Amino acid sequence: MATSTDTGPTGGRYVAEFREFLEETWLGYALILPALILMGVIIIYPTLRGIQLAFFEASLLNPEQQTFVGLQNFAELLGDATFREALWHTVLLTSVAVSLQYLLGLGLALALKEKVPGAGLFRSLSMVTWVLPVIVMVIIFRFLTQSGFGPVNIILDSLGMQTAAWFGRPGVAFPLIVLMHVWRNTPFYAIALMAAMKSIPETQYEAARLDGAGPLQRFRYITLPQISYVSMIMIVLHVIFTFNNFDIIFLSTGGGPLGNTEVLATYIYKQAFQQYAMGYAASIGVVMLIIMMVFTIVYASLEARE
Amino acid sequence: MATETQSQTAQSTDRSFADRIDAWLAEDMSPKRALAVYAVIGVYMTFLLLPVAYMVLATFTSADFLYSPRLVPALGDLTLQNYVSILSTGLFQQYFINSTIVATSTTLLTLVVGTLAAYSLSRFEYPGRNTLLFSFLGTQMLPRVLILIPFFLVMFSLSLIDSLLGIVIAHSVLGIPLGTWLLKGYFDDIPKSLDEAAKMDGCSHLDILWRIIIPMSLPGITVAGFYTFILSWNDFLFVSILSQTAATRTLPFGLQLFQSQNTVAWELLLTAATITMIPVVVLFAVFQRWVVEGLATGGMKGT
Repeated sequence: MATSTDTGPTGGRYVAEFREFLEETWLGYALILPALILMGVIIIYPTLRGIQLAFFEASLLNPEQQTFVGLQNFAELLGDATFREALWHTVLLTSVAVSLQYLLGLGLALALKEKVPGAGLFRSLSMVTWVLPVIVMVIIFRFLTQSGFGPVNIILDSLGMQTAAWFGRPGVAFPLIVLMHVWRNTPFYAIALMAAMKSIPETQYEAARLDGAGPLQRFRYITLPQISYVSMIMIVLHVIFTFNNFDIIFLSTGGGPLGNTEVLATYIYKQAFQQYAMGYAASIGVVMLIIMMVFTIVYASLEARE
Repeated sequence: MATETQSQTAQSTDRSFADRIDAWLAEDMSPKRALAVYAVIGVYMTFLLLPVAYMVLATFTSADFLYSPRLVPALGDLTLQNYVSILSTGLFQQYFINSTIVATSTTLLTLVVGTLAAYSLSRFEYPGRNTLLFSFLGTQMLPRVLILIPFFLVMFSLSLIDSLLGIVIAHSVLGIPLGTWLLKGYFDDIPKSLDEAAKMDGCSHLDILWRIIIPMSLPGITVAGFYTFILSWNDFLFVSILSQTAATRTLPFGLQLFQSQNTVAWELLLTAATITMIPVVVLFAVFQRWVVEGLATGGMKGT
């Protein structure tokens, strides 16, 4: 930069400025280039190829041979009962898990923001579930609920209640999946919401108190509006994560029992890597992408209106 | 939203109940209120930590205890045998080493590439900058399973299947968008006047990055590094696609294979799982101050 600031004999001020502008631009691009190349190869190109694949009949066993089939894959999806089930499970899981996480996270945030001794320690401890590898969480939950000598079954047995391999139970497996999501993600909501609550100036509460507002009113008219932005972000992020999540379900139930927990992500994986139906799998991926895009656009427009 | 309507209906339909709650809550930190706070925290912490604590406890007990209808081990059930067995298993050692190499290299690569990108996005003006910024974030929205198939083909044509390098590249790219975004947030907070002053002293852009920006945003770099490390350490999906032999398997994939065998040796599986979680938990414990603050505030700023 030092060199380009002196206006040499070759040009006037504008030339020098233009040269500096060029140099800035060039360096700016150069610095971001490694990231762009990596992302281009690993994310952007595969995404475009994935979208393109959705219009082809292609097998993973013979990826070179691809036949253009137009919208046929999508037409097949319409008649595919497993796909409809998986779509329904995905939507149900996302909405139930995200609502529960938010409400529980809100409650926990209200408790954690209190200035009781030890709250800081709890804040840190609560994040442990969030850093655990998904496979470790799955092993813990499978161990706790295994048939025979799983602790949950030992307790149920001692209470004279029914015991079972709970992840293999239709009707129980799905709630267990929801429970794992809630267990894992609630602390993150709690920490984020708590941070947002703590950033509200105490004077606002003082003023409300002077006006005679009770705690519930203060929560309703001060806390809630001021955490609404963070709340929206947390909810949107987790809708996206939950909707697209693969490993929690794949590792815990694999979509079973009897397809009871099959979601779009696990169905794609099976179609692509077990049935080798690449094109068909890609078309499911495109449906997921469209749903997420619609969701994001609706969110962005809501955000813009505020 | 739900809470909003709930409290509204509570107010309109049951005024006296709301009043009573209000009156009770109004006493600032009365013993009753502190007790209620502890009760909420206590119940929730039990829900969060009891499963993990029970797993860790179980790893120190013998198989005899695990397969008995008892919940609490006696002193005689305690043993370190599981750790001895699992740590002396060749495959487990291999997975652990692979995981360590992959997660460490991923973190370094992501931080280098992400820092350069974040510096570019934070300090340079050029056409397409905003588009880039938002496309970084947009990648978070993409279903990873959609990427998976062509990703596999790309890696295949680059001969990166079944290589640790391939896994490192894949994980880095997963970490780069959010890492860059987090770092950009931290870089933006550093006053530009410092850059100007350094420029006057004859510093180049890279000098500024190296001597001013990086030292001043170490907490942010730590958060981004931590985030990338756990992302890589915890990843199952991409390893399951790329790894074909034991030589490249990382712990999550190795544990999954362990788990899917018909007869599960729970005592060993739980011990392996416990060891798998130790590095991320230790890292979290060391950096938790920055991480909790960074994710709560920086993460928000990011989006």
